[in-house]
Amino acid sequence: MDTKSGFLKEFYRGLPKDRAKVETYEHGFEYIERMLAGGATLEYGEMSLAGLLHKYKFSQVPEEQMDELMSSHIAKTCNLCLYFGQVENSLFCFNLDNNHKINNTVVIPEMTLVVELLREILTGAGCEPLVIASGRGYHLWCRLGAPVDNGRLYNFMVRSTARALLGLHKQGYDHNRIKANFYPDPRARNVVSLRLFGSVHVKNKVFSRVLTPEVLLDEEQSWDAFGRYLREKTIGLDAFERAVAALCG
Amino acid sequence: MKTIAVDLDDTLNDFTRTLQTARFSYDPAYNISPETFDRYLEKIRRGESDANELLSTEYSYFCYRIHAECYRLAPALPGAAEFMRWLRENRWRIVILTHRDLRRSNEATRRWLRENEIPFDHLFLALHKLAFCKAWKVQCLVDDHPMNLAPSDDPHEVELFYPITSQHERLPIQQGRGFRNFDELKQWIPNQDS
Repeated sequence: MDTKSGFLKEFYRGLPKDRAKVETYEHGFEYIERMLAGGATLEYGEMSLAGLLHKYKFSQVPEEQMDELMSSHIAKTCNLCLYFGQVENSLFCFNLDNNHKINNTVVIPEMTLVVELLREILTGAGCEPLVIASGRGYHLWCRLGAPVDNGRLYNFMVRSTARALLGLHKQGYDHNRIKANFYPDPRARNVVSLRLFGSVHVKNKVFSRVLTPEVLLDEEQSWDAFGRYLREKTIGLDAFERAVAALCG
Repeated sequence: MKTIAVDLDDTLNDFTRTLQTARFSYDPAYNISPETFDRYLEKIRRGESDANELLSTEYSYFCYRIHAECYRLAPALPGAAEFMRWLRENRWRIVILTHRDLRRSNEATRRWLRENEIPFDHLFLALHKLAFCKAWKVQCLVDDHPMNLAPSDDPHEVELFYPITSQHERLPIQQGRGFRNFDELKQWIPNQDS
């Protein structure tokens, strides 16, 4: 197993691997038949308005086929998106997007500010996130040492984000310009997925680079930072409980 | 194998009439006041789009909730299910092609199709359906959306059929063939072996 594949498998270890959303330019019934012959079931497909980009939700994906998708993801021939566990998860993610109908791949001032506010809040509470550029904003991933109930994770994310948005408001910005979604979301089970690190944004073709407090890293540095986060920053359950007490009390 | 793509809302079901006539009860879970509920519902029924520059708003979420209710409530149009079964018997590959946000409505859509015994092979979302048909080499499209009927500089090879509704009477239709019921449509669908 190569390093990148090993990193991805270890980082996303808790997420179900029997279902996935695949973003790819591959299309046509031959493609679908090939995927189905591999064992997967097509839940639905989507052709986006961005050229011939397609998105497919597959379920019942066998392990071998998931490995192939992971390899394609690393080779950048598709983006692999995974769903979260329906009851508990050892990963959670804040998805901050530019909430505008047009030009929404532009990083607006509110985004720059809120992502750093949220990073500070989480790091200050002992839950340092890995911040990854998503194309329309940022994903802030936190990796736990063991699974936690989805309701608790969601509550923690809502309250942390409310603090960050309050900070934004206090500095005179409009918090409505930011769209915040939380993963896992107990209200929408098996509905929403997130692109894994290593993806390339479908609209602006930008690699999912890691954002440190100082700089947006390049691709190679981002893989290094991803591996380092995996080794050094996984959050123990005691630390998570302290963060819950500090931010949700 | 020949492929046909068939739209759902206002093609196989009675979506618009359901939206206009169904009784939607206020529910505090909408997180809006009863007055806002009434105002938003009226706005949806008038077909007004959200003029807001923001993507995700209180109104856009309410819109999704009401549409989701309609997906569940709208009955199949007379002859629609029989037509789809006829396609299956005639060995067509059937793609249900919709504008619905399938990320959120996949399960409800599948349930409705199952309950109405409507056969299909694949479920797809495409906002530009003619482009989808071209990319996927789909021979026939059955869809009510006026966008397909507008004049185009890009001649396509998709045979287009649409259910005639009041909206079509006001349009300068340049392409496609309107049908008044599914029996009429059956006559125009090419034989699988032709």
